[in-house]
Amino acid sequence: MPASRFTQTGNYRTKYQQDQTIFATYAEQLSLIVLIGLLLLLPLILPKTMLRDVNMIMIYAVAVIGLNITTGYTGLINIGQAAFMGVGAYATALAATRLNLPFFLAIPIGGLAGALVGTFVGLPSLRLKYLYLAVATLAFQIIFEWGVGHTPLLAQGGAISLPQVQVLGVKATFFNHNFVWYYLILPVLVVMGLLWRNVLRTKHGRSLIAVRDNDRAAAAMGINPGTAKIMAFMIGSFYAGIAGGLFAYFQKAVVIEDYGLHISIQLLAMAIVGGLGSLPGSFLGPLFIVALDRIVGSGSQWLGSLNIFPAGVDAATALRPLSFGLAIVLFLMFEPRGLANWWRLSRLYFKKWPYKF
Amino acid sequence: MDLLPQLLIAGVVIGSVYALAALGFVLIYKSSRVINFAHGQIIATGAFIAFALTQKGVNFWLAGLIAMLATFLLGMLIERVFLRRMVGEPIIAVIMVTIGLSSVIDGLIHLTPYGAGTFGFERPALLTGQGIELFGLPLSKTQIAGVLMALGLLGGFTYFFNKSTLGITMRAVADDQMAAMSVGTSVERVFALAWAAAGLTAAAAGVILGLMSGLTLGGLAGIGLKVFPVVILGGLDSVVGAIVGGMLIGILENLSAGYLDGIVPGGGTREVFPFIILIIVLLIRPYGLFGTKEIERV
Amino acid sequence: MKKTLILSALVSLSFAAAQKTVTLPWSGAITGPTSDAGASYAAGVEDYCKYANSQKMLPGITLNCVIRDDQYNNANTQRNFEDFVANLNAPVFLGYATGGALQLKSVIQETKIPTLTASYHIGIIDAPDNTYTFLPVSSYSENIVALLEYVAKKERGAKVALVVNPSPFGRDPVVDARKAAERLGLKITDVQEVGGNNLDNTALLKRLEAQGAKYIINQNTAGPVANILKDAKRLGLLGKMQFMGAHYTGGEDLTKLAGDAAKDFIWATSYYLYDEATQPGIILAKKIGAQFKRAADTIRSVHYTSGMMASAIAIEAMKRAGANPDAAGVYKGLISMNGSRAFNPGFAVGPVTFSARDHIGAESLRLLQADATGNFKAITGAQRSAMFQLVHPMK
Repeated sequence: MPASRFTQTGNYRTKYQQDQTIFATYAEQLSLIVLIGLLLLLPLILPKTMLRDVNMIMIYAVAVIGLNITTGYTGLINIGQAAFMGVGAYATALAATRLNLPFFLAIPIGGLAGALVGTFVGLPSLRLKYLYLAVATLAFQIIFEWGVGHTPLLAQGGAISLPQVQVLGVKATFFNHNFVWYYLILPVLVVMGLLWRNVLRTKHGRSLIAVRDNDRAAAAMGINPGTAKIMAFMIGSFYAGIAGGLFAYFQKAVVIEDYGLHISIQLLAMAIVGGLGSLPGSFLGPLFIVALDRIVGSGSQWLGSLNIFPAGVDAATALRPLSFGLAIVLFLMFEPRGLANWWRLSRLYFKKWPYKF
Repeated sequence: MDLLPQLLIAGVVIGSVYALAALGFVLIYKSSRVINFAHGQIIATGAFIAFALTQKGVNFWLAGLIAMLATFLLGMLIERVFLRRMVGEPIIAVIMVTIGLSSVIDGLIHLTPYGAGTFGFERPALLTGQGIELFGLPLSKTQIAGVLMALGLLGGFTYFFNKSTLGITMRAVADDQMAAMSVGTSVERVFALAWAAAGLTAAAAGVILGLMSGLTLGGLAGIGLKVFPVVILGGLDSVVGAIVGGMLIGILENLSAGYLDGIVPGGGTREVFPFIILIIVLLIRPYGLFGTKEIERV
Repeated sequence: MKKTLILSALVSLSFAAAQKTVTLPWSGAITGPTSDAGASYAAGVEDYCKYANSQKMLPGITLNCVIRDDQYNNANTQRNFEDFVANLNAPVFLGYATGGALQLKSVIQETKIPTLTASYHIGIIDAPDNTYTFLPVSSYSENIVALLEYVAKKERGAKVALVVNPSPFGRDPVVDARKAAERLGLKITDVQEVGGNNLDNTALLKRLEAQGAKYIINQNTAGPVANILKDAKRLGLLGKMQFMGAHYTGGEDLTKLAGDAAKDFIWATSYYLYDEATQPGIILAKKIGAQFKRAADTIRSVHYTSGMMASAIAIEAMKRAGANPDAAGVYKGLISMNGSRAFNPGFAVGPVTFSARDHIGAESLRLLQADATGNFKAITGAQRSAMFQLVHPMK
């Protein structure tokens, strides 16, 4: 054991149990609690329109944790995460409007619906390698969008409005919507993050990584790769479903455009930029991409006002796909471990500070 | 009513473009196991290069050839700049690079005047005038020429792949990289050539589609998505499969538009039917009609 | 430096005391999907707003013309709306897309902000949450019912097919069209969805031909319609089938894309066109366009006129609200526009009338037909669709 359980300058673990703890030191535990405490105060200082962006980042973070479970930890490319979000959003909307369920039941129903559909889409993985699964998820994304458009129950992709919620006697209104939802989304995100951190410690979590790294070796060790992959899909799309349910309430209505192929690509970009197979990356990625989107948005308006492009050239429209695509490509080429790696390195630096080595 | 033969013919016309698009896709997969999600964007790039040239007064046929050469080089460039650096990385990382590239090329096309709107080639003199009528379906000369060009290119590539030394080298690398390297084959050169050939056929597909029905970024890039049902049905690594799969998907798509649309409220089934076939093929026969049966069940 | 800052702050303060600032905000697609229409629309909204300032249309009030790009993304539309209402205190909201407007309906109801959109989707003003939503001109549904009436007059019991966009924007008029067709004794043989990338329409057209459909009514954007027309021309169907469409299918957008295949296309819209140079609304649009140095293409676009229309209605409502135009005042101003107090800015073929029940502005519309060069000429006078009021009674 190290001299102190608060500071640790090296790896003093001698038992597997120690390796499996969620937090290596009390300091880590403490810093998380302090961080959450600070986050709880954030809405008091943040401008309102920015609070909206923070809420979006947190919802996308839930979906990106899920995407990381399938793509990052298990190595199954998923180009349909937005469609799984959509499944959750529509299930939540139906539960809230048709069954009149309150939001704290409707959102988990969205998660379960996501998990159910995800398991079904993941079924081919019993027979297929990861390459083919990427194509299957793409097909699901396209079939989902078409299917919603042809289902009168789902307003054919038009808006299904969700009722405003009431929490602890506070009714969400237009003016406190972002504020109320901040305090609803944050606990969900923290719980979902901790939940995955915990699952990862179990044999199920580790079996996913084993399958990603070498499926034959994993099979030799007694892991059933097919089951592991289906499980990854199930958990990943559960997260997507929860995110979709949150997004449905947060956007006040479900509209198909919010769950299209471009959103799936955007989620993938978030996961890659954040760092595939990393929990901190699942928060950093959405933060980076939403911030990039804001900057590109104002940048494109400025570009458009310059009138330097010939008529007919819509430079502003070009910037979004260009910046997302470049983020994906550049991170994969030069920093495949994503922002999470920078995070890790800076932590490492401060851990040993003031000693250099 | 002679709707059926008409639908079959219309299916073959569009199917020949799908086959040509799928050919390039298969070439890349066959040699390097990379699923190229940017294929549709390369198709669009080729088509718009040719269109831009004809706008500048270049003869259509010459413009088409220059465009094919340009995407030949573009394919090589993509391989050299982006993919060669990724050698040794897990294959899923390489695939995701192509997803990123598709976004990048999309953005770059939006920087030209061709990002939004519909455009059409000025018909070359050879192809103006009345076409022929088959089973009551008028086919324009552009459509006939398009199908002939597509079939010619497909035949040429199949021959090249089977007979020429380079083609045999490419197949050797596809079969067993290690063994090919040990007999002195430059795997890198083969990869570069596969990408270049994919670029060339992509431009051809784009130009032919543009000639037959018009150019939109969404429509051309959408061919890149339609390629997936084609290659999964035909078999990811089979050149013959790409051709047969392309024709079949073209025909099935038209049959669904012709018959299913009447049954399904709202219709528009052609957009989704190929992808339903894709899922079914994946569940029943994942290596497709002609693909190598090498998918281990893990 | 500091001094000038304080000085200018003082100056603007004293200026503000004399001159109240009220925000007139618009959020729509200047970039992204449909931005070809959206950019002209935005220019129309902005220019009329600035023109109102230059003409001192609102005594004692300076309009703050805020034009925001939402890239056709609903989340951005919501953020803009929140910013407009919560931070800029806007008493009115000018919107754009169908999806964004539908998503905002409950919020509009809650905040009581009168809203006018560029989408003429009837669902925007249908119950629930429809107290504060208004359409500047006749809805797509009314466009299509008017076309059906025209068909019924021309040929009793004719076979009609609907081709619509695969989105709420396209699908919504189908229900009303079916009801109207039944009452008019027309037979709807098919309803098909065709989206933006329809490069090959052979199967669609051949099937419609096999059904004997003679009139093809489109609810779409100009791009897909142009592709259908070009294929119809190639298949020799243009003489056999009469193609028609609602507001966003026709006009110059269609002529540009379809060329001579647009010939004889019949278009239903409530707006006057650029070529009708004697119309006061068009004269005004040209004058304002010249004043703010817009490109000729922008000024020609019917979307430029449409943007001005929305802007003009909002500003007139503010004027009627008096010295202190808040949301409630603007709402009252809007619903006062009827009878002798109807508002006619001249951009559309009829006056704008609103009441607590009537949320459609200029209901009158005309049918126009393209000649060989693709110029649209009116084939009917300004009229209202009698049948539409029967199949879709308001409130």
